[in-house]
Amino acid sequence: MRHLRTLLAGVLVALLAFGAWRAWYPPAGQDQADKGASEGYAGLGTAAEGYAEARPGGRLAFPADHGPHPDFRIEWWYLTANLTDAAGRPFGIQWTLFRQALAPPGTLDEGADSPWTTRQLWMAHAAVSTPTGHRYAERFARGMAVPDARGQAGVTAAPFAAWLDDWRLAATDGADTGLDHLDVSAGGDDFGYRLRLDAEGPLAIHGDHGFSRKSADGQGSIYYSQPFYRVAGTLTVDGDPVAVSGRAWLDREWSSQLLGPDQSGWDWFSLHFDDGAKLMAFRLRGAGEAGGDYLSGSWIAADGTVTPLDDDALRLTPLSRTSVAGRELPTAWRVEVPGHDLAVTVQAIQPDQWMGTAFAYWEGMVSVTPVDATSPSARHGVGYLEMTGY
Amino acid sequence: MTAPPAQRGRRRVLATTLATLLSHYRRHPGQLAMLLLGLWVASALWSGVQAINASARDSYARAEALFESRLDRIERRDGEPLALAEYLDLRRAGAAVSPLVEGTLALTDGEGASRPRVRLLGIDPLTLPGDSPLARRQSSGEALRDWLLPPHRLRAAPDVAAAARADPRLPPVEVDASLPPATLVTDVGVAQRLLGLDGLTRLVIAPRAAAELPATLVRIPARQLASPGQLADSFHLNLTAMGLLALVVGLFIVHAALGLALEQRLGLMRTLRALGVPGRSLVVALGLELLTLGLAGAALGILSGVALARLLLPDVAASLDALYDADVGTRLALPWSYWLGGVAITLGGLATAGAGLLWRAARLDVLALGHAQAWRARLARQQRRQAVAGGVLLGLAGLVGLWLHLAHGQHLVAGFVMVTAALLGVALWLPTLLGGALRLAAGRLRRRPLWQWALADLQLQLPRLQLPMMALLLALAANLGVSSMVGGFRVTFLDWLDQRLLADLYIHPPAERYAALESWLDAQPEVATLLPARHADATLLPDDRRASDAAPAPVALFGLRPAPVLRASWPLAATRDGRDAAWRALEGGAVFVNEQLARRRAIAPGDAIRLRGADGNVHRLSVAAVYPDYGNPHGEIVMPVSRLARQFAAPPGSLGVVLTADATHRDAALSGLHERLTARFGPAVSETLIDQHALKAESRRVFERTFAITAALNGLTLGVAALALLTTLLAQADARLTQLAPLWALGVSRSRLVAAQLGQLAACALGTALVALPLGIALAWSLVAVINVAAFGWRLPLHVFPGQMATTLALAVVVAALAALLPAWRLWRMPPRRLLQEFAAT
Repeated sequence: MRHLRTLLAGVLVALLAFGAWRAWYPPAGQDQADKGASEGYAGLGTAAEGYAEARPGGRLAFPADHGPHPDFRIEWWYLTANLTDAAGRPFGIQWTLFRQALAPPGTLDEGADSPWTTRQLWMAHAAVSTPTGHRYAERFARGMAVPDARGQAGVTAAPFAAWLDDWRLAATDGADTGLDHLDVSAGGDDFGYRLRLDAEGPLAIHGDHGFSRKSADGQGSIYYSQPFYRVAGTLTVDGDPVAVSGRAWLDREWSSQLLGPDQSGWDWFSLHFDDGAKLMAFRLRGAGEAGGDYLSGSWIAADGTVTPLDDDALRLTPLSRTSVAGRELPTAWRVEVPGHDLAVTVQAIQPDQWMGTAFAYWEGMVSVTPVDATSPSARHGVGYLEMTGY
Repeated sequence: MTAPPAQRGRRRVLATTLATLLSHYRRHPGQLAMLLLGLWVASALWSGVQAINASARDSYARAEALFESRLDRIERRDGEPLALAEYLDLRRAGAAVSPLVEGTLALTDGEGASRPRVRLLGIDPLTLPGDSPLARRQSSGEALRDWLLPPHRLRAAPDVAAAARADPRLPPVEVDASLPPATLVTDVGVAQRLLGLDGLTRLVIAPRAAAELPATLVRIPARQLASPGQLADSFHLNLTAMGLLALVVGLFIVHAALGLALEQRLGLMRTLRALGVPGRSLVVALGLELLTLGLAGAALGILSGVALARLLLPDVAASLDALYDADVGTRLALPWSYWLGGVAITLGGLATAGAGLLWRAARLDVLALGHAQAWRARLARQQRRQAVAGGVLLGLAGLVGLWLHLAHGQHLVAGFVMVTAALLGVALWLPTLLGGALRLAAGRLRRRPLWQWALADLQLQLPRLQLPMMALLLALAANLGVSSMVGGFRVTFLDWLDQRLLADLYIHPPAERYAALESWLDAQPEVATLLPARHADATLLPDDRRASDAAPAPVALFGLRPAPVLRASWPLAATRDGRDAAWRALEGGAVFVNEQLARRRAIAPGDAIRLRGADGNVHRLSVAAVYPDYGNPHGEIVMPVSRLARQFAAPPGSLGVVLTADATHRDAALSGLHERLTARFGPAVSETLIDQHALKAESRRVFERTFAITAALNGLTLGVAALALLTTLLAQADARLTQLAPLWALGVSRSRLVAAQLGQLAACALGTALVALPLGIALAWSLVAVINVAAFGWRLPLHVFPGQMATTLALAVVVAALAALLPAWRLWRMPPRRLLQEFAAT
């Protein structure tokens, strides 16, 4: 009987072992892990082999340069507007179309008539800032391989039109008037706007005939603006229409490598002063010599005359930080251009103007007040501030 | 860190006690193995059922959660693919539509070997509405670039990932466990190239997003897309009920196995106590032993439960897949609760079995050696207490059942309480019932002393046998109940298929060609009957005569042609004056409502309802009958198709075609009709033709497989019960010798003794099975008529299969005989010396 018991016990142990073995399969295949993050903010510091390079010495040609430059890696049409309603309350809007090439020119067999073979990715951001809140939305698209009004997104130079879906920045009535008279519209689930823009001054060409250096190493972009728009139209927030008017600023910029590989982000100002002058200024963090910041800008007189500002002519000083979307952001600045008797405090009208989009950043309306209100050159104004890479 | 001497001493006593208790297993390794086996199988059964259930649910959820089923579809009215320009125009007009390409792709490995056919989806991640799982995963820039640019990327369900990797035409493969089985997803342009398509199969749009569509396009809301929905849910619920039964049976097994292992050591424990081991140490040592054994058994059970599910799952998955088109992956996805369930059941059984024993060990009477009579008296008391508890449970079950009936309630928990209480109540009554039966039988066998002895002896064994017999009872009842339920489910499902897919062929023509096709088909010689069907939506208004608090509710309207062939197979659950009168009333202006709507709104044949059509007109209609509508969560109203088209402006739907040809000429008739249809109306129409004969055959074949799985799980349940019986018999074999030896000494041969033993067990099992039969049927009834109604608002008809009942009886006897075989064989081979020793000992 002992044999039988031992045998039975042996069989049972074998059964148990078999059961355990059957249960122990190797785990199922794992998804390939996503690759690491790109260099710099939004991959803008990535080396740009195979793309055209932004260089000094070229000449801008309009209206062709209002259209896309597909051989460059990145490009944008960037509109911001400082508005007020009938009661004088501040509102702001943003309308941006980004183009990004996913592969260098000539590396793909791009069928002319299909969006599925293009190497161009389009991305649009729209936002409305109210006195107390912020609404935004983003859209993505592939355009036609060759720019084409039938595409889901694209830009045509003459007559000017830039669009993604039904978000549209285009010459009024389809007239061939460059960027002088534009209609802009966009919207999301809980906001929308439809505005008319009329330029009251010339285009402002930045830097060296449009070449704007972005680091001590020589990287840069082609950059011009139309800062002289008068705006009027209607915003909709949560279904309620608000009649607004004010000033707008359009930036046009393209490049293949905007940032140096070590640059982490930028702080960018576009300010309208009440005497009619404008200031464009930026600070690229980590882009200067020996790892310092790289500063540059343009003083735009009321008549449209542009004076480039270099590192020595410009001072941008963060004053205080606010916690926004889990980050510490400098929402108050001192901006000084001694050569033009400018010393102002730039303050976010309200801190909640975070763009929680695929590439997140802070973009919002600011108020401009003089540091010394008694000075004869004291300037007030409004503007937009953009902060990335925080 | 040295403990005080007193504490050290206590620890030493504890260790010695534990070693002594465990030494029992050194002498009886078979018993230890048996105990572990019991624990193992009990929790394995539970884990296995749960694993299958969990995985099936998870896969079903995955299929549901895939972008498509949550999104509205936009298609061309004429059924043709959409041109790219149509899509782009919509986007530029602000409609948030996204393109989709879908087709079937035959994979190849480049060497001509046979590979699976898969569903290939082409998507545009840039526009796909954002809350779908696919859209979310494209967020990283690198991943997006890889997806959009050559060589692109392809996501594959785990089951077809290897085959997809082997296909040289396909982009690099990434495994995506969130995809339904046999599905590949890639960029829309790549999919177009692979499938040889120019246009887009359809557009998708988030249900809440607005879009103004041109007249050539039609939007199909997500909720209207065909979904097996509740029929699949119902099946899963019944699997859950089965898991619950496995739990109850498992608890009994564990209880029996442990109880016996500990009972045998009562003498040993008394000796230990007499030697001065404190009661507390004894209890702690026993508790430690129980815990160790329980954890070991649970761990083994969980591991093998997963293995079991792996073995069974491909079939379960395949059956659900084909039945409901609900793809079930073969990947196991087990939430922690299911793992813990296995541990909980084992420890629960341990607690119930062990608590009583620990209690007894704690108040062990050192002098109470061999008080057999006192023990019997206590057992009699215990049996009375059991009967009372059983009565209370049965009463509770009855009350809950009555309440459920009166409340028309959707109370799932109450339903489960009722079923569990009834099962346990009957199980507790089993010893009383068996004892009564034995006394009754003994009175009729006065002429056959050996038989009479056997019955009296069985009565003596009953206290020990009652636990395994209860387990057997529950296993048999579960077996019968679940078989009836699944069988009934199968019959119902096939009926439902017949009712809904009555015609041989179905055609979904484009709306503008519907009328032409209908008259053309009507003129064809192969066509016996045309069954046109249309659908429309309406609003059911509250009854103006009754003080009803029901708000206006949307209902679906279904138009059919009440042709004789359809009348014959369309089931009606309730009518006022019989079937024929109901159909006449339907043609005369009445309607039928489905069971769901009837229950929800308390509508009975003869009532009147008010419907508001899409045009705002209100129609007052009388209800002629209520029909069963399995698996449909929504209310539905049936009326003749001509009236639906006229009064409710229902758009053209499908055309069912019943062929004149008999089975032998069917194929020829079918291909002839198809040819002429293509010639007359073009492939766009003839491709919508579905031969539902093949569809039905496939469904039927798959259900047979589901049956096979049910049988496998049922077999396991019975196996566990047999194991409990075997454990009991082995454990009491030595004690039994005391009873058997005198008979042998009186001249009864060993083979006759063996026969008597087998007969005893078989009779006991047969009695148990006779109790199990009504219990099983009651269980099946509870599943289909109480639990299903509570969960879904419609009942499955109860089907009783006499063949199954006979099988159950036979199974019970076979199980008992098998369990008795080993002890009987040992008795038969026993040397007479061993039997003589019984007398020496006393």
